[in-house]
Amino acid sequence: MHALEVKNFTKRYGKNLAVDDISFTVEPGEFFGLLGPNGAGKSTTIHAITGIARTSGGMIKVFGTDVESDYRDARRKVGLSPQEFNIDIFEKVRDTLTFVAGFYGMHGVERKKRVEEVIKRFGLEKHADKRFKELSGGLKRRVMLARALVHKPQLLILDEPTAGVDVELRHELWKHLQELNKEGMTIILTSHYLEEVELLCSRIAIINHGKIVKIGSKKDLLKDGKHLEELYLSITQSEDAAPL
Amino acid sequence: MNWIGLQTFIWKDIKRFFRVAIQTLLTPWISATLFIFIFGAVIGQRVGTIEGIPYITFVLPGILMMNVIMSAFSQSSSSLYMHRFTRSIEEILIAPLAHFEMVFGYLSGAVFRGVVVGLGILIVGLTFGAVQMQHVFVFLVYLVAVSAVFGLLGLLVALWANSFEQLTILNTFLITPLSFLGGVFNSISMLPGNLQTIARFNPFFYFIDGIRYSMTGFHDADLLTGGLIIAGLFVILFYLVYYLFKIGWRIRV
Repeated sequence: MHALEVKNFTKRYGKNLAVDDISFTVEPGEFFGLLGPNGAGKSTTIHAITGIARTSGGMIKVFGTDVESDYRDARRKVGLSPQEFNIDIFEKVRDTLTFVAGFYGMHGVERKKRVEEVIKRFGLEKHADKRFKELSGGLKRRVMLARALVHKPQLLILDEPTAGVDVELRHELWKHLQELNKEGMTIILTSHYLEEVELLCSRIAIINHGKIVKIGSKKDLLKDGKHLEELYLSITQSEDAAPL
Repeated sequence: MNWIGLQTFIWKDIKRFFRVAIQTLLTPWISATLFIFIFGAVIGQRVGTIEGIPYITFVLPGILMMNVIMSAFSQSSSSLYMHRFTRSIEEILIAPLAHFEMVFGYLSGAVFRGVVVGLGILIVGLTFGAVQMQHVFVFLVYLVAVSAVFGLLGLLVALWANSFEQLTILNTFLITPLSFLGGVFNSISMLPGNLQTIARFNPFFYFIDGIRYSMTGFHDADLLTGGLIIAGLFVILFYLVYYLFKIGWRIRV
């Protein structure tokens, strides 16, 4: 069973075609990178996987569960750390995590224990009783990750998780993500930091103008000794980039 | 059914309005106190009685219902609109909550706030010696049912609105005028003949009339008609809001 199966997924906004009939799979335990310029369709694809966006065509399954027809079961399996802070800024960190754990059906001792676990994991102990709006940018990112993980998802989706984060914290977050992946969690990452994707991901897809133009293992894509940045620019700047 | 998820949703919504209790609770209570004092205690002394009921006792149910309506409407509309505005609606959309549970969650918050505001005004009325209670059960049913209808209406407006200004339009141009014209301060039998007929097409008249009956025993309209109007509005609005959540209108991209 694939961790994620996207088959002929299409998304239109009115007459604008944002994602054009893309298909790909992600296997359990993989660290998968989804790259592309702004407006290429990365976030739209992520939104469709998580339920924020409706699909215009095709099918998406998370660990065998259809995200449209069986959406509640599919949602339980996914955790999302989005690009923008979509959180109640007046809520305290601990309360936010407690509420989110509750949405996923956790209760009582289990919920309390899990919330404290993620607070500890992301070094938020001193900030757990602060309101989200009182935190620095880096701490906010940590809270977003903690929120995405509080219900123990099987598939973690990270949309630009290190955007606006200083170098030290970025390295710290990388360490967290590598640990999670080692523990068996499947991770999908989108990022504009290509060195981040090159370091973390074992397989990469490049999406441009709503189509996947390159997909493969990092080893295969970079076999000529190229860096990901060179490959990425050669693909996205090439006007005749042939879609797969 | 995700019971824990739903329970969490309701608690989160209730906590949100307690966080701004001055605005959500104290304001309607103070406003009601002023209305009761001016219209009941001051003007009421000159008016005397209506249908044998002291004026202060007669206007209290109307003032109570008007505030319940506004509170329930504000709770659901501001809650959902703020979720849309800050995009924290995404937190709810990616959670394993059914569309029915989302609607029920928002609605429960609205009903809870409506009931808390209503009971608070009842206490204010007691301090003025203005409270009669003839049918407690009918009173509670009206409190909950009317809160639910306006909670649903608030959700509808929050889905439709694209600005804070639009969010307040319905309150300013529909809810407030129709409440005042629905018999908050008077019996419709005091209106001229034609206006009496027109007033009977105002649904707010039935909401106020029902709660007035539960408290004073007096009613202008047929109670069954009032009950059917509330039930009918609830069913229609619930289905409409549920359908809009299901298709993700203005909440899913």
